[in-house]
Amino acid sequence: MREALLSARNVSVRFGGLVAVDGVHLDVHAGELVGIIGPNGAGKTTFFHTLSGVLVPTAGRVVVAGEDLTGLPPHAYASHGVARTFQTPRVFKEMSAEDNVRFGLEFAGRTRQHPHDAFDEAGTILEFLGLADAAALPAGGLTPARQRLLEIGMALGARPRVLLLDEVAAGLSHAEVDATAQLIRRVRDQLGLAVIWIEHAVRVLMNYVERVAVLHQGAKIADGDPRQVAKDPAVIEAYLGEEGGAERKAA
Amino acid sequence: MRLRNAMLAVLTVGIALAALPWLLSDFLLALALSCIMYAGLAVSWALFCGATNYLSLATAAFFGLGAYVTAWGAGALPYGLSVLAGGMLAAAFAALIGAAVLHLRGAYFAVITFGLGELVRHAITYYEKAYEGTVGRIIAEAPETTTVYWTVLLVSAGAVATAFAVRESRLGLALRGIGSDEERAQTLGVNARRSKVLAFALSAFFAGALGAAMAVRWTYIDPPTVFNPFIGFQTVLIAMVGGAHTIIGPIASAVVFSLLTEFLRLQFPYLFLTLLGLLLILLVLYLPGGLASLIERWRIGDRWRWRRGNA
Repeated sequence: MREALLSARNVSVRFGGLVAVDGVHLDVHAGELVGIIGPNGAGKTTFFHTLSGVLVPTAGRVVVAGEDLTGLPPHAYASHGVARTFQTPRVFKEMSAEDNVRFGLEFAGRTRQHPHDAFDEAGTILEFLGLADAAALPAGGLTPARQRLLEIGMALGARPRVLLLDEVAAGLSHAEVDATAQLIRRVRDQLGLAVIWIEHAVRVLMNYVERVAVLHQGAKIADGDPRQVAKDPAVIEAYLGEEGGAERKAA
Repeated sequence: MRLRNAMLAVLTVGIALAALPWLLSDFLLALALSCIMYAGLAVSWALFCGATNYLSLATAAFFGLGAYVTAWGAGALPYGLSVLAGGMLAAAFAALIGAAVLHLRGAYFAVITFGLGELVRHAITYYEKAYEGTVGRIIAEAPETTTVYWTVLLVSAGAVATAFAVRESRLGLALRGIGSDEERAQTLGVNARRSKVLAFALSAFFAGALGAAMAVRWTYIDPPTVFNPFIGFQTVLIAMVGGAHTIIGPIASAVVFSLLTEFLRLQFPYLFLTLLGLLLILLVLYLPGGLASLIERWRIGDRWRWRRGNA
């Protein structure tokens, strides 16, 4: 079997006595679109922080294309081709939308080439995202929905091999979610990226990914085809846990 | 293109200012010297602090270090070399402390840079007393006032040209990214530590070189004179009042400040600090974006009117 592009090996994060991420294994290959779901506080975003170097895991390793990057600063992950978005858009507010996309191109994406060179210019990326008209506007002035798109554009500017998307569909209308999902699939197909997409809302994600992993209380409780995962008793329990627990108490 | 125009402007203004010694009286030349020195200090401070939103109070330390290089080298080092060496020592010191403390932000960084400045001042005081048996130094052979003026002009023009070059460079983009959201910049591939240390050292170079160049203006040099925290505060205030995210702002503000200080000191010798303080409070309250924001406001308003006129 070919080597995973991104490999989280037994990753754990502890904050004092709280275990936020508990021994998670996850291998993602080029061209895969993997969803990660989990109830609030399941450790999804914390797990993402370890995959992008923002947080050093308490235990375990993060390996990108065979290279162990555990403990290195975030820019090392970025220059190895791991790009991410943030749950709350973190665009450079004072800069123009174009400069926001150019930022990744000037740094992480500077030395790496895409297999297809379609995304070598900020303008092309903005056009692809439907943000061409906003190119010269300060990013802070865009609507939240457009800032989310711009976040994706910033990550694409970094010429990623692995794209980490943190709740890019949150707060979008059904049509917008659909458009964003199509966009993500197109990026994945065109560039052969590995994409990991976190979403809190299960239904959104299940329709669009080919593989889904479920985090619950920091641990991975399921990983596989979305249809099977949806039937998994452990997953149902995790999502309906509170009600189930109440029933048990009553009984 | 934008960069070439800026460089041409710096060159033109620089040459024009270089002619001042033939046109101005000694008093006015001294005033011009003060304007140009503060312009250089404020621009080099804003080069790092304006873009990254880090508040450094170490300017006095860099300035004083540079001045001491001139004092120590007096008689042995030619003036021009002292200025260069003063800048390099300040830059090296900035790189060293930058590597140690640039992970701190906000008030922590401000306080520690101020503390480091005091540390250098006391270290030099101790060294001079314990090993050289002196509390100050006399610079016996000072160069001509015009030589000092041209040197300070050259260093300040260098600071302005460097600021323009950095603004258009990848380093400048990295610094703006760090100022806006440091972690986000890192996740897009910016080596934040390296960029910050580099820019901090670059900014210190000019403060040190200016200190070394100005040292000969005082015949007698001791730590309280050249490590005067007032120089550091004044620089920060000038840059902020001018608009630290711009280059023109701090220059304009340096000129206004120096002239105003001089005017108030001559007209109201007992009230001048009070008036200066009042003015500052008013500026900070009503013009937080600095003088440069006035121009921006005017420009945006202008464009808006123009668009509306066309619609």
